[in-house]
Amino acid sequence: MKLLEKILLIEIWKGLLLTLKKLLLDKPVTIQYPEKDKVIPAPGFRGRHALVRDPQSGDTLCIACMRCARVCPSQCIYIEYEIDAETKKRKVKRYDIEALRCVYCGYCEEVCPVNAVVLTEYFEYAGYSRDEVYFDKDRLLKNWDEFIATQKRPYLNPFWKPRGLPEKYLPVRKRNFTGV
Amino acid sequence: MDLSWLTAVLLLIIFSLVLLILALLHVAYLTYAERKIIARMQQRLGPNRVGPRGLLQPIADVLKLIQKEDIVHPHVDRPLFAIAPLVSLVCAATGLSLIPLWDRFVLSNFNVGLLFILALSSLSAYGVILSGWASNSRYAFLGALRASAQVISYEIAMSLALLSIVLMAGSFNLQEIVKAQVASPFKINLIPQIVAFFVFMISAIAETNRVPFDLPEAETELVAGYFTEYSGIRFALFYLAEYYGMVVMSALAVTCFLGGYAGPFEVPGLPFFWFLLKLYVLLFFYIWVRATLPRYRYDQLMSLGWKILIPLALVNLFVTAFIKLMF
Ligand code: SF4
Ligand code: SF4
Repeated sequence: MKLLEKILLIEIWKGLLLTLKKLLLDKPVTIQYPEKDKVIPAPGFRGRHALVRDPQSGDTLCIACMRCARVCPSQCIYIEYEIDAETKKRKVKRYDIEALRCVYCGYCEEVCPVNAVVLTEYFEYAGYSRDEVYFDKDRLLKNWDEFIATQKRPYLNPFWKPRGLPEKYLPVRKRNFTGV
Repeated sequence: MDLSWLTAVLLLIIFSLVLLILALLHVAYLTYAERKIIARMQQRLGPNRVGPRGLLQPIADVLKLIQKEDIVHPHVDRPLFAIAPLVSLVCAATGLSLIPLWDRFVLSNFNVGLLFILALSSLSAYGVILSGWASNSRYAFLGALRASAQVISYEIAMSLALLSIVLMAGSFNLQEIVKAQVASPFKINLIPQIVAFFVFMISAIAETNRVPFDLPEAETELVAGYFTEYSGIRFALFYLAEYYGMVVMSALAVTCFLGGYAGPFEVPGLPFFWFLLKLYVLLFFYIWVRATLPRYRYDQLMSLGWKILIPLALVNLFVTAFIKLMF
């Protein structure tokens, strides 16, 4: 029996039959991305960076605590701040993210106590030069505006309240955050 | 007298041109068909950008390949380096002129046609060896040795398989072989010579370096073979030769085993109908096999050729000769 199977190449015919079946019966599963099919990333997809714009002040929520810059494994966040003489509060002067070096780990958005920085679900941002993906503060705020326009509000990024971390361990501003 | 000679030559030239253009178109669209069919078998789409349904893709490919930078390493043996792909191509393509496409359309209907085709396909080993040698690179040279060892091994099995056909027909002339088949009780040689057909098809796949015998160009495992140093259109010529080889081998199989242009009935107005139909079925088979089977290992490939196919073809030849003697 074994010999006959070998001589008649039964296994090979089985394989050929399988591919023939695929040819005749199955439809292609290719996604034709820009033209026909729209790709919707899952919520919490880590895409283009943005700085959340504070709806009240119109500026960033960032308090220049430097935690994101410190936690970033690829050290691609550069922050400069000045201290306001009257209120004694820090104010961000410069906030740059070099997106080409980013590894999209999401640590920055997780660690931020005020949910100021976010990796949006926006993914179509390939550019022709390095400058196009070097984001300074204005650009990051603009990224946010572009992104939030596509969202059904209120938007709450899952990384702002990481799973598995009891709520009581979160900073107050993070705990009370209900979305923008 | 003179005039008839002139018209004969003119006719020959026109016939050759028709054949050449048809063959080139076939080869070009064979690449397209291959990509499309394999894509569907793997549930992909295949080329669909250039032209409707990607139909102009082969033309775009050719244009691209012609424009590509032609890198020639300074230490190569220039004349040989340039000639090698042409040797492969010419050897692969010339066989077509001997195949009877129809009982009134064969470019050169000469007595030892089959022998000539076999000789040409053995010559294609020269293209391989020359390219490896002229490249002046160890990788290319080792690849060439590997490839030519394979081509030569399978050549033997193929010739033996075809010899039994010659015995059946009593002639080397391909036209005669077709006629002998039509006159025979089975109409096609496939039925009495199924073993020879089996050996022939496998050797033909190996001869043209196609999956599962595409060790000469196993890019993924072996960093390619004899054409490592070739680029652009020169590289494409090797591929063109491979596809030409497919067409010629399939045409040969149609002629020798499947009754050539003869069909169960005449199709009015389409003299090539049966020939082309059989040809396409065989070409589809090549593609189908490629989409299905994984590659052989080199020692498996060699032992299949020498330990199974050659003895099988020899036994088949003896049996055929014996039966021929008896009846
Ligand atoms: S996602 Fe990670 S690598 Fe990228 S900026 Fe944030 S912390 Fe740095
Ligand atoms: S962690 Fe948040 S608040 Fe602190 S510097 Fe970074 S973005 Fe600003």
